[in-house]
Amino acid sequence: MTNKTRDILCSIIVIAFGAAMIYFVKDVRRVIRSDVGSRFVPTLIGWCIVATGAAKLFYSVFTGLKEENKKIVFDQDFIGGIGTVVLMVLYMIAFQPVGFVVASAAYLFLQMLLLSDNTNRRVLLFAAVAVLLPLAVDALFVFVIKMPLPVGIFGF
Amino acid sequence: MITDALANVMNPMCLALIWVGTVIGIIFGSVPGLSATMAVVLFLPMTFSLEATRGIALLVGLYMGGISGGLISAILLKIPGTPSSISTVFDGGPMAEKGEAGRALGVGILYSFIGSILGILALMFISPMLAKVCLLFGPAEYFSVAVFSLTIIAALSGKDMLNGLIAGLTGLALSMVGMAPIDTKLRYTFGNYQLLNGFDITVLLIGVFAVTDIVLAGFGRRTLSQRLEQKKYQLKGYGISMVEFIQQIPNAIISSIIGIIIGILPGIGGSTAGLLAYTAEKSRSKYPEKFGTGIIDGVIASESSNNAVIGGSLVPLLCMGIPGNTVAAVFLGGLLVHGINPGPLIFDKSGVYVYGIYFALIVASIFMLIFERAGLRIFAKLLDIPKHILLPIIMVMCCVGAYSSNSRVFDVQCVLFFAMLGLAFKCFKIPSTPLIIGFILGSMFEENLRMALQAAHGSWMIFLQRPISLGFLVVAVVFCTYTVISNLRAKKKAELEGKEFHEPEEGEL
Repeated sequence: MTNKTRDILCSIIVIAFGAAMIYFVKDVRRVIRSDVGSRFVPTLIGWCIVATGAAKLFYSVFTGLKEENKKIVFDQDFIGGIGTVVLMVLYMIAFQPVGFVVASAAYLFLQMLLLSDNTNRRVLLFAAVAVLLPLAVDALFVFVIKMPLPVGIFGF
Repeated sequence: MITDALANVMNPMCLALIWVGTVIGIIFGSVPGLSATMAVVLFLPMTFSLEATRGIALLVGLYMGGISGGLISAILLKIPGTPSSISTVFDGGPMAEKGEAGRALGVGILYSFIGSILGILALMFISPMLAKVCLLFGPAEYFSVAVFSLTIIAALSGKDMLNGLIAGLTGLALSMVGMAPIDTKLRYTFGNYQLLNGFDITVLLIGVFAVTDIVLAGFGRRTLSQRLEQKKYQLKGYGISMVEFIQQIPNAIISSIIGIIIGILPGIGGSTAGLLAYTAEKSRSKYPEKFGTGIIDGVIASESSNNAVIGGSLVPLLCMGIPGNTVAAVFLGGLLVHGINPGPLIFDKSGVYVYGIYFALIVASIFMLIFERAGLRIFAKLLDIPKHILLPIIMVMCCVGAYSSNSRVFDVQCVLFFAMLGLAFKCFKIPSTPLIIGFILGSMFEENLRMALQAAHGSWMIFLQRPISLGFLVVAVVFCTYTVISNLRAKKKAELEGKEFHEPEEGEL
């Protein structure tokens, strides 16, 4: 993907977002006569977003970026990135049903394993941090701040 | 009266309570998701059984520590511990990356203290007069302040104004989710009751600033240990020479005045004060291009102003019983419980307590200066933790912070949504900071626009007929035009010289 393609794609998403904003607020009715109503500002912002997206699209296609039309080179570690996102999603799904302590311990351990490499992978240390930190945070919230965190099916 | 108040505050028990309050406040402020408001709310019931001055002293310590503590995570982790520290990230973060974490923290702490003291002095000596200024502000003026504040987006957008505008408008759009102001009509909730109240600013901050960074660290894990290698630091005093201190006096004073004014105006808050002060200093500076690359000027502007807000926010609270922000609202509850009724007669009826608050604020500022400087070495040690261990820990703390803001898992899930939004912004080279500004100012913009138009029976001329409102709108137009023209000039000049124009994009992590 080139810079130009990226900007065109971005413009299209922005225009679509602005249009969606206008569309999803169209049924909101005004209840006070002297008021502009709850639809006015979101619609105004929606149109501004569409206009900005259109301006960006015009700029990307016709004017600027001629010299910047370089191909974007992806040299990132997709396993590390996508793996991190997947772990986060699983952690957030498990946060309530499994409970804070267990979900956090599992997430911490796996995330540390994923981010480390062969030179700094210390499994025992990771396991200790993964277990002790959630327990300490949970104790702080339950006994000091008096704000319990989700306990989940295991009851802790 | 003054002597009695001083004697009450200098009592060892009272001093101990201020000390404890300040330390706990700093801890709450430094952990993303925990806030000064939360600290004051949690400890409010504890003050019921205490004598009035002591109870208030504890709350004052918590308030002072909570606001100031945000700079620690803002500088070390590039995560604003409180919304007030957003603008501290812009230069504090890059300073930490350059191995100047200790200096950034030292300067931040010192100017937090200076900002606090200037705010307290304003509260002590000119509060009745300042309170009258506050009364001149109606919805039209607030709307114009919001418009003026939104022009910060132009200054923070860097080389691509359109991208900055997209981010700012997206922030405004996100602030429209949930019940509308005035008539509580539902917008963009899609049948989800969790969205009735809209998104929480803490959740947005954590997602866009912190979690996006962790995901990016995942994408760059091959070089994680090299990129984020341990950096040693040395620090004498507060990391600032006498020459630099003298040079920064105008910056500190102007930023503190901005903080005091914003603090006095109810409902705006420290985050806007920090952003306004940062932008004002950048515009005033002889080297605006260096802002965002890690210079002390940015840290000083942000920290002086957000701490000056404390004194400012107590002006309308004490003189008229109007809380300027959430913490002040909780603080008001604390005062009422102890039989102190804020209002024009407070100096006659409860003078000893009012002076007690003044002295407690000064003592809390001194304790904050001492404690944060003493703990600086320990705070900076955070950077020595290997990043493959530190980042997952931050992620867990972010989730806890998001959960504790409203005690619901939905906020934790929103963190991931905003992280993905932050990631998309990175991919499309859109700066994140205008998104936050738009979100913060969105509700203020809409609510006051509608209230002003209702008051004027739908006439838009109200914004031009009221002098203060007109003044802010004129300044907004001038500032925006100036920024656009200077950006275009810089771009043209760079093109003529055959160089690539690059202006650092604040908030880009």
